[in-house]
Amino acid sequence: MRIRSPVRLTLLAVPIAFMTVFLLAPLGLTIVVSFWQRVGLSVRPAFTLVSYLDFFEGVRLTVLERSLLISLEATLISLLLAYPIAYVLAYKARPNATRAVLLLLTVPFLINYIIRTFAWTYLLGRAGPINSLLLGLGIVSTPVDWLLFSDFAVFVGLISSYMPFMVFPLWMSLSGIDRRLTEASWMLGAPPLRTFLRITLPLSLPGVFAAVIFGFVGCFGESAVPVILGGVGYQLMGNTITSTLDVLNYPLAAAMSSVVVITMLILLGCWYAAFDMSTFLGKILHWRV
Amino acid sequence: MQTGQLDPAPRVLVWLYITLVLVFLYVPMIPPIIFSFAPGEVAEGRATLRWYAEMWNSPELNAAIGTTFELGIVVAIITPVLALLAAMAIRELKIPRLMLMLMLLPLFIPGVSMGLATALFFRLLGLPSSLFTMAIVQILWALPFATLVVLTAMSTFDPVYLEAAYVSGANRFRSFLDVELPLIRSGVSGAATFSLILSFNETIRTSLVQGPENTVQTYIWSTYKQIGLSPTLYALMSLLILLSMVLVVVYLLAGVRRGQSANALAAESPPQRRPLAISPPDSPIPTEKV
Repeated sequence: MRIRSPVRLTLLAVPIAFMTVFLLAPLGLTIVVSFWQRVGLSVRPAFTLVSYLDFFEGVRLTVLERSLLISLEATLISLLLAYPIAYVLAYKARPNATRAVLLLLTVPFLINYIIRTFAWTYLLGRAGPINSLLLGLGIVSTPVDWLLFSDFAVFVGLISSYMPFMVFPLWMSLSGIDRRLTEASWMLGAPPLRTFLRITLPLSLPGVFAAVIFGFVGCFGESAVPVILGGVGYQLMGNTITSTLDVLNYPLAAAMSSVVVITMLILLGCWYAAFDMSTFLGKILHWRV
Repeated sequence: MQTGQLDPAPRVLVWLYITLVLVFLYVPMIPPIIFSFAPGEVAEGRATLRWYAEMWNSPELNAAIGTTFELGIVVAIITPVLALLAAMAIRELKIPRLMLMLMLLPLFIPGVSMGLATALFFRLLGLPSSLFTMAIVQILWALPFATLVVLTAMSTFDPVYLEAAYVSGANRFRSFLDVELPLIRSGVSGAATFSLILSFNETIRTSLVQGPENTVQTYIWSTYKQIGLSPTLYALMSLLILLSMVLVVVYLLAGVRRGQSANALAAESPPQRRPLAISPPDSPIPTEKV
């Protein structure tokens, strides 16, 4: 390799330092604070499991269970919605169409999802267009109540917040697959479905897992959607953390946040260990001097 | 890219499905715009622009709009620089996977956890919540996207140009400045636009480290939590949607100008990568890839 000048090395270290100081250190601190003791409205360094006991023994355990379940289901539905899109874009669409659809998926992701989530309260409401349509068509005789302030509404909110971006890792890994492998499979006589199951799907797993981690962790820690679409008293991990913060119980909030962060780190660590990212991100990382 | 053959009927179904998903994603942007024109009293019964006029009467909101733009500018300037350095570090240090993972980490951390972590961190350091803390959190959030945009632009850059610069006697800094930077400039400006859009649209992380100053987004969120939604808030949301769309168009136009970089991801065969045969004049020994 080349010899680098100290100035150059320092410059290259700046982003590493930035992430270490402002992200890794704070995440570590969250875990540390989760063991601290709460004294009145303040916290004192200590080593106590009180916050975790509080979390795992109280009603908050059901919040954790429900969060896990809802996030898993929302992620699975999002994956089922996103995978076919990514597949079509990678194999069946012209480059121009692919670019257009990817762009159209980027725009909603960029627009604040809270604004988009507010809109669902109208769209799914008793007087909203969906109920009007159902009533107008005579499918139901009274407005459907379970559309809003329900698990269903939360699913709609979570999926529309996190699904668009899940297409990207899927598309990246699918379009990075060497075409000669599928062609070989066809030539050896495998029907399309078998080729998909034995070749394409396994090779796209790095993208699948990246998308799943992104969607799952996002839903797991989501704090605005359950407040807006779940209705009064609807609690998932994310908004339970914010409501714990509102009463200034930092160690408990830190303990719950640590559970989310450690889940994320474990999933990410498995992904990092299991897959070679260079095939997944081959398209943008192929320049290694 | 080889286009697979689909019969007309499945092709129609496939594109119908994609259209439906896009409708599902885009429909929620319509109600805020409709409600922003809603008349105050039902009896008035006509669309009105008064909410767009009224929102400027609130000093609190005016301050929030100011803060949003100040933050946006800071984030849009610092993030691309960090992203450029990060992309170069990913390319040149011997730990590209680890580097990339580190830079992408904020993508995988829920907003609440990131906001809480940084809020605790700043509190323990004794840093009061301010524009600085808000900017740090927004830069953290924008950095993964900006890094990906810069990396994409870099992947279209053929290192043979650097060799040419070295042969002509330029040192590494000059060749970066005069040769590489102009060629990947659109990637850097794209990263800036992306960061600006993300800054304008960030709520949860910012709200956890904000001080007395609101951004437009945290203003909308806290007003919603305290008193609920109002036509004025819908007018604000509509303006934010419009502004984000305009910025997306700006980003696209920058992409069209460069042409080549815009096609980077869909490119059929990227330039072949190989170790540089010619080293810059400032290297003490001739370089060969180990």
